[in-house]
Amino acid sequence: MAGTVIGDGLTIDGEVTGDDEVVVHGTVRGTLTTSEAVSVAAGGVVEADVTASSVSVAGHVTGNVTAQDRIDIQAGGRLVGDIKSARFTIADGASFKGSVDMEV
Amino acid sequence: MAAASIIGPGTVVRGNVRGNGSLEVRGRVEGDIEVDGDVALGEDAAVNGNVSGAQIIVAGQVAGDLRGSEAVMLERGARVVGDLSAPRIGIAEGALVRGGVRTEGEAPAPRRAAVLPARRGGERSDFARPAPKPIAVPAPKPAQPAPAAVAAKPAPAAAPALAVEASGGPPAPVVPALGKGVRGKKKTKRS
Repeated sequence: MAGTVIGDGLTIDGEVTGDDEVVVHGTVRGTLTTSEAVSVAAGGVVEADVTASSVSVAGHVTGNVTAQDRIDIQAGGRLVGDIKSARFTIADGASFKGSVDMEV
Repeated sequence: MAAASIIGPGTVVRGNVRGNGSLEVRGRVEGDIEVDGDVALGEDAAVNGNVSGAQIIVAGQVAGDLRGSEAVMLERGARVVGDLSAPRIGIAEGALVRGGVRTEGEAPAPRRAAVLPARRGGERSDFARPAPKPIAVPAPKPAQPAPAAVAAKPAPAAAPALAVEASGGPPAPVVPALGKGVRGKKKTKRS
């Protein structure tokens, strides 16, 4: 079960840090840092720099994303920002604008 | 219907949390919480800011004011430094509070208090029991024609019944005034 769930309708303005899995259905503005996975669900809005072990984007993310493992942008997802991760996928139907650094 | 949110035990939020839906906090929040649903602060939760919601149940630490539009309930593990304000306020034995307590506002129809999710040992919330039946405080007998020069003013007929239901806001605390010179009456058995 996810540690932190930001429900639809909730808005967090500030820094979110921790070591819980984070699922965002609502809005996060600021920074989001965790040592576990971050999942931005469809409808979720993240206007923040995200640092996590893995990031899955099905909603909107505006900010730089850094992941230790992988970053996945799902169909319908949208990411505007630079990403840095060892593995990276963009699904057909996803939107992305930014630079990619796969730590080559 | 707005969803339920959880701030997990390992999460720290430095900033404000606002929105719709209910919120359960098991981590730390340094900032204000303002939601229109219920707020439940777990035993390990720590909030450094004001909390505003419908029904606020606290079992953790709060440094800030608690303002509930329905109720504020402090459980045994609550440690609160700040003011409590709600139409219905409950403070369980063992809770620590330092601040003002004020029952005010429109009391909506009472409902069964929300139960905090199972804690270690699965104890139930102190407040998870049906609302008690209203207990009417009987009006005291009129003062006897005793040495008292001025009879004690009889308590108002609308002595605040300890009713959970309140048609308007909660009744203001009423302390019947004692006239000058009234002394305590020794209780004697009536023959």
